Amino acid sequence: MASQLKVDTITGVTTAGSISVTGEGNSTTTNLQQGLVKMWMQIDQSSFGVLDSLNVSSASDDGTGLFTVTRSNNMNNSNYGVATAVMSDRVGILGSNGNTYTTSQNNFTNNDSRDASYHDPSRNGIILTGDLA
Amino acid sequence: MASELRVNTLKDAAGNNSIATSFVASGSAKAWVNINMATGANVDSFNIASITDDGSGTFDATYTTAQATANYVICTAGDDNTGGNSDLVTIIGAPTNQAQLGTWRSAAGRVDTTKACASIHGDLA
Repeated sequence: MASQLKVDTITGVTTAGSISVTGEGNSTTTNLQQGLVKMWMQIDQSSFGVLDSLNVSSASDDGTGLFTVTRSNNMNNSNYGVATAVMSDRVGILGSNGNTYTTSQNNFTNNDSRDASYHDPSRNGIILTGDLA
Repeated sequence: MASELRVNTLKDAAGNNSIATSFVASGSAKAWVNINMATGANVDSFNIASITDDGSGTFDATYTTAQATANYVICTAGDDNTGGNSDLVTIIGAPTNQAQLGTWRSAAGRVDTTKACASIHGDLA
């Protein structure tokens, strides 16, 4: 029977921050909170603007190929994962600069794998997974 | 008390922002990992049973629960290293049980980067 649940907040019963969801193959479960992306954004480095985002409070232009992202809600620790993709006619790499990889912020760098020169592509996608504070 | 809720659609209390539960299940990352290849440490992860060092700049991240097919997506990021020699994390192979990843540094070849991240999206078995 089709059903519809209207709710603003979902909380686990045994552990508030842990809810199991049945996988697509119907044979295993996955953890809802752990699998959710905790931040995502599409950023234009060329004209510098955040095109769309989740859990991003601000982004600052730090010079050609460089920018910093600050989150609305911090991560629980700095062990989270970052994944990126760049739309560029060159072979761009969006690295997560080790200088700032904190619970609240990340530095990102976009450069060319052939000569390591910096670039400002117009579309960069970023997702972040891990534990929220 | 533990409980199980069976529902097709989620909405907020005002009846807005409808989303099918299929989007919750399909839209969630099925695994993610942050690896320090230099030390071989699994810094943090979800649905990763083990990390295998396959040599300089290559490693396998084996899932606790496998993916349903080999058609899933792996998104990656590596460390910039401050000096412009960015580490690119690439996909060597993607069978249902593990992500086989490599790291390539600008103009330097394979290296063991200190931060190799991957996020896996698709259908669980």
